[in-house]
Amino acid sequence: MTATLKALSLLLTYPSEDLRTALPEITKLIRAEKLIAEPQLSKLLTFISDIEGRDLYDQQERYVLLFDRTRSLSLHLFEHVHGEGRERGPAMVDLQQLYDEHGLSIDARELPDYLPLFLEFLSTLPLVDARTHLGEILHIVSAIKERLRKRRSTYLAVFRAMEIVANGEAEAADIEEVLSAPDDDPDDLEALDRIWEDAPVTFGNNSPGAMAPGGGCPVARDTLTRIDPPQRPTPDRKNLPRKETAS
Amino acid sequence: MSHLLDRLNFFSKKNVGTFSDGHGVTTREDRKWEEGYRQRWQHDKIVRSTHGTNCTGSCSWKIYVKGGIVTWETQQTDYPRTRPDLPNHEPRGCSRGASYSWYLYSGNRVKYPLVRSRLIKLWRDARKTLAPVAAWASIVENPKKRDAYTKKRGMGGFVRADWEEINELIASANAYTAKAHGPDRIIGFSPIPAMSMVSYAAGSRYLSLLGGVCMSFYDWYCDLPPASPQTWGEQTDVPESADWYNSGFLILWGSNVPQTRTPDAHFYTEARYKGAKSVVVSPDYSEAAKFSDVWLHPKQGTDSALSMAMGHVILREFHVDRQVKYFEDYARQYTDMPMLVRLVKKDGHYVPERLLRASDFDGDLSQDNNPEWKTVALDRKSDSVVVPGGSVGFRWGEDGKWNLEERDAAGKETDLRLTLVDESDRDDVADVGFPYFGNREHDHFQGTEHEDVLVRKVPVKKLALAEGETLVATVFDLFVANYGLDRGLGGSNVAASFDDDTPYTPAWAERITGVPKDSIITVAREFARNAEKTNGKSMVILGAGLNHWYHMDMNYRGIINLLVMCGCVGQSGGGWSHYVGQEKLRPQTGWQPLAFALDWARPPRHMNSTSFFYSHTDQWRYETLGIDEIISPTAPEGPWDGALIDYNVRAERMGWLPSAPQLKSNPLELADAAEAAGKDPKDYVVDGLKSGDLQMSCEDPDDPANWPRNMFVWRSNLLGSSGKGHEYFLKHLLGTSHGVMGKDLGATGGQKPDEVAWHEEAPEGKLDLLVTIDFRMSTTCVYSDIVLPTATWYEKNDLNTSDMHPFIHPLTAAVDPVWECRSDWNIFKGLAEKFSEVAPEVLGVEKDVVLVPILHDTPAEIAQALDVKDWKKDEIDPIPGKTMPQIAVIERDYPNVYKRFTALGPMMDKAGNGGKGIAWNTEVEVEHLRELNGAVTEEGPTKGMAKIETDIDATEVILMLAPETNGEVAVKAWNALSKFTGREHAHLAAPKEDEKIRFRDVVAQPRKIISSPIWSGIESEKVCYNAGYTNVHELIPWRTLTGRQQLYQDHLWMRAFGEGFCVYRPPIDTKTVKPIIDQKPNGQKQIVLNFITPHQKWGIHSTYSDNLLMLTLNRGGPVVWISEVDAQKADIVDNDWVEAYNVNGALAARAVVSQRIKEGTIYMYHAQEKTVNTPGAETTKRRGGIHNSVTRAVVKPTHMIGGYAQQSYGFNYHGTVGSNRDEFVIVRKMDKVDWLDRPSTDQPEPAQ
Repeated sequence: MTATLKALSLLLTYPSEDLRTALPEITKLIRAEKLIAEPQLSKLLTFISDIEGRDLYDQQERYVLLFDRTRSLSLHLFEHVHGEGRERGPAMVDLQQLYDEHGLSIDARELPDYLPLFLEFLSTLPLVDARTHLGEILHIVSAIKERLRKRRSTYLAVFRAMEIVANGEAEAADIEEVLSAPDDDPDDLEALDRIWEDAPVTFGNNSPGAMAPGGGCPVARDTLTRIDPPQRPTPDRKNLPRKETAS
Repeated sequence: MSHLLDRLNFFSKKNVGTFSDGHGVTTREDRKWEEGYRQRWQHDKIVRSTHGTNCTGSCSWKIYVKGGIVTWETQQTDYPRTRPDLPNHEPRGCSRGASYSWYLYSGNRVKYPLVRSRLIKLWRDARKTLAPVAAWASIVENPKKRDAYTKKRGMGGFVRADWEEINELIASANAYTAKAHGPDRIIGFSPIPAMSMVSYAAGSRYLSLLGGVCMSFYDWYCDLPPASPQTWGEQTDVPESADWYNSGFLILWGSNVPQTRTPDAHFYTEARYKGAKSVVVSPDYSEAAKFSDVWLHPKQGTDSALSMAMGHVILREFHVDRQVKYFEDYARQYTDMPMLVRLVKKDGHYVPERLLRASDFDGDLSQDNNPEWKTVALDRKSDSVVVPGGSVGFRWGEDGKWNLEERDAAGKETDLRLTLVDESDRDDVADVGFPYFGNREHDHFQGTEHEDVLVRKVPVKKLALAEGETLVATVFDLFVANYGLDRGLGGSNVAASFDDDTPYTPAWAERITGVPKDSIITVAREFARNAEKTNGKSMVILGAGLNHWYHMDMNYRGIINLLVMCGCVGQSGGGWSHYVGQEKLRPQTGWQPLAFALDWARPPRHMNSTSFFYSHTDQWRYETLGIDEIISPTAPEGPWDGALIDYNVRAERMGWLPSAPQLKSNPLELADAAEAAGKDPKDYVVDGLKSGDLQMSCEDPDDPANWPRNMFVWRSNLLGSSGKGHEYFLKHLLGTSHGVMGKDLGATGGQKPDEVAWHEEAPEGKLDLLVTIDFRMSTTCVYSDIVLPTATWYEKNDLNTSDMHPFIHPLTAAVDPVWECRSDWNIFKGLAEKFSEVAPEVLGVEKDVVLVPILHDTPAEIAQALDVKDWKKDEIDPIPGKTMPQIAVIERDYPNVYKRFTALGPMMDKAGNGGKGIAWNTEVEVEHLRELNGAVTEEGPTKGMAKIETDIDATEVILMLAPETNGEVAVKAWNALSKFTGREHAHLAAPKEDEKIRFRDVVAQPRKIISSPIWSGIESEKVCYNAGYTNVHELIPWRTLTGRQQLYQDHLWMRAFGEGFCVYRPPIDTKTVKPIIDQKPNGQKQIVLNFITPHQKWGIHSTYSDNLLMLTLNRGGPVVWISEVDAQKADIVDNDWVEAYNVNGALAARAVVSQRIKEGTIYMYHAQEKTVNTPGAETTKRRGGIHNSVTRAVVKPTHMIGGYAQQSYGFNYHGTVGSNRDEFVIVRKMDKVDWLDRPSTDQPEPAQ
């Protein structure tokens, strides 16, 4: 049982009076467990006191805008992995099976890949197991953290805390992969241009895109390579908790 | 040999045996690896559902569910078989539908009820001390509080709320509005019920029980072709797509079948394999163009010039120089062509006036019943004037003579005369003037220099009428003269050769359309020749490309004329296939009682949305189109003054069009006021209106007393997709920041309306509350005060029908709605429950005075036969239901709204059910429903009535009551019709009398519907569904004045606006470019282009257009298409950001430069969301608008006509339409793309 993870789960839920009442206890648990050290601890505590002090409506507005409406900050993990892919359904099914194996069934109107739900699940595991699973989604956590940093959001502290609990670092390439999906309010026009640009059509054997034997249409191939990864990482479940198949 | 040697000692063979002559092997290798694949495609169940709301494809899909999660979908393939020699329907479905499962778990999904935080804060504060309704009053009656949230619409600031609380807020707002202003200030907009009938009905039932207003969509979308009600008295009825296969000659005209009717396109391909000839008419090289043997690409908006020239050719070669017997017989029996028209003098020549009536003769030609509504013709057999049966006068007030048998009123056989052209038949030849509009100047459309009035020779008869001797001509002779054919009668403005430059020859059309005259002649000739050889199997599939022009009626009637000339309508494989956002709610008459709570009270409140939005988004204040620009040079005497909105106001007060809100006074207070005055409420209203004590709301839409106050939008993206004049919505209806750049008539000094009060200061923010119900955060949601999360199409139970195929099939809940989402049925049921709880604070059982327009298919539809008289101008007395709206008093039981919502009310027993003018008893069905759904056991006003608790209960109500899904009802309905026609029709349904389709049946497999008199086609083992089939084959009249296909429109207003006969009319000048073109330079070159918004490939309107799969296939954000030539002129290269703007607003998009686009046009596919990748526009400095940002609705007086047989109001049947294609925009490269990505200072608190 890792209380800090439970605390982080709560901090990421929709702000409510209940949550505010629980804040002193949450603070106590985090301090007691000592998983998060300075200077991060102060930052997290600052965040907590921000929730305590701020008008509840403002907080709720902020939460809805950040996490309910901004897709690139979605708290549903698979949004960042599978996006609109057909793999998303099966991935959720797998995740649900993982919970099943630990004797837990979802009792909230939420999807299995909802981050606070996932954190609550991790909080029920021994720390070492929790870290393994947390490590598997760390690149998503780090990517969202980066985006929050750009927005100068105080929610940053919660995601930073998750990194610390995980006690490891996500592969930079994995983070990059998630981050390469366009943010909801793109300000990098050049990048956006690149994504939607059509490849120049060239003809003849010596042209740059000439067809390799058996390689298919080079124009289509090039276009697909350019469009695919920046949009959403290709469906790849290796980074996510899943049930090992019988093979 | 030793068996040691005989066998392998160290190996075993992989293959241990063979079978099927060695073609199969048995192995013992480990096949565990296959499990990976097997598990990937494993699922717990497959559920049948489909995709609504605005896709009319109506394809059945398999939804795969695993562990309670939807994993993917595939096309269903189990449609009932067709018949030998006809291809099957499956597979149906396209890339859009296949990507739908994404919506369920999308980051864009609305997961919780959302409310503007400023509003909920005010509400909670107020609720601390006040009861619910009083709490709402304290907010909206305080301007500061009201502004606090209404001025922030569209600027974020949402928080979650729980259902209980949000329902209480909405219900209180509704109760307050009904009490303070009147229930007709509560309005709701939802489109296309056919695609999820119960979801539509949920909201409309709630509204109707309140006395709220249901808004039409079909006319507003401009998908309704008014030409259809004008010609056939039918909203739109079309062949199913399978019938294309029966055709020998197909013209795709402004329709893009493979792109927008993807699941049906295979029938087109198959028809071509079978040998049908295919002509595609489209200005751009559309996807459909690849289907063509001949591709005609007229200049956009000139289609009627093309069709008129084709008609000229067909008349010349198949009717005048040579007569095809089939065509002649068809014209005689099924069209108004033999009917006689009065000719009257004007400016030294004659003009065609109204159709001659029996009442014009001494003794009314022995007609006692409705002689003013019986048209007459010349009979060859008796050589006399006869009254053929079937006209609308026979429909009402007498039995058994309303049919298309070739007999007169007395039952004598007739042989009606089509023409008087033979010297022996005619009394004289008269000079008759026809209006010509093709000479009007337009900056972008080629005109010709012919005169305003084209005088042509027409053979006439002199008849002795009651008023004296009068010249008359047949419709046919006038019709031929209108096409400019020289028939040897001499005179000018007629052509003997196709090469003459006379309207409407092919040579003339070539000048206007750019289509070579030889192509016109060939296509016309082959079209008619095919029809001649096949008895009418030539078909035109036409689409929005034609209907969205201001003069869409001409585009449509030009084509309808071709089809009627060749006897194609009502023939299998032939006819008019209008596929524009159309829907066929096949079990319509079963659905209506549920949807409009007709089981509790009749009539419901309906409103035509175009007039409503024109008025209440104040688009009329910016009107630039003058009556002088559209009035005919041959218009009958009359002032013909005022503004467009004046005509709408006149139409409303004459009972032609509905009104909402209706009166300046609260309709809940009128009955009491009448009682206090000692008057009947009806008389009270009539006297009040006459004296001016009561006022109609339409006369002062800007007075706060007349504002709409609460609005529901569900199953629709009104603001993001269909809101023509988007920026005007934002400014006036919503009162938030907007991009309107034009000045209103007050500022420009333009001529103001006569009938409508002018306020110097236009209102901004008429709505107190905007509630949108959706599953995704659409543009409309973003602008709403409250967003309610609804179930997707895989999370609810509902029904779905289309006119593309004859099946009824369901939506079923594959999974429960996720998060806090609820089905529309449950949302409105929850609201009804809350409403009943809060209403007693201010409302009890109330009397509601309802104004109803004169409705089509009712005996009242024959209101003013010969002339138009306005009671307000003292030309006639105000008589409800005749010269003004009908007045009804309805009892509302507000505390019992919930009980009424969930039970089938007593009116079904008492008043029965019906539709399209026929009625039948439903006691048996009500009893069956009581047995099927169970009866209400609770004490109260609904005890013992059939329950309608769940969405499935609701589907059963529809299925049980509708003739299309209950054979017993179908037989009853046909018999009811027989009373009118005097002919036996029940044989069409008798074989299916015992068939009753239940919800579980359609869940098992789509079912073919049962033939019913509600529709003009039949379902049988022999023919495909085809519109007009029963008119032609069962001799059931069309529901028009003449009872026939009416090609001559003789209403006063039709003649005044020059549309008695079909003519070519160039697009109107909307004047939206000149006032602004040089006002906001950005240093880039500018070009002016015609703004066209066809349906897209990567979405169904805005649905799917925010889906990344579809965006990826497209360009990922708003794009416009322009031609290479135009791009070059403005230094635009492919993928540049461009801005398109005019006085209505601006939009920003990327340019797709393509050679397939016709020079002079810019295409923006309908509809791309504002919520996706939209930067700011330079001109407005606002987030770049949507396609509707540069449009404004312009209404047309001829669509307002009412009380005149087929030209009478019906919900989604007839009325003003919101055209948008005559619009031009200025296009230029954007200097700097600004994503407006800074924190908004408008927001209460930036998100951090």
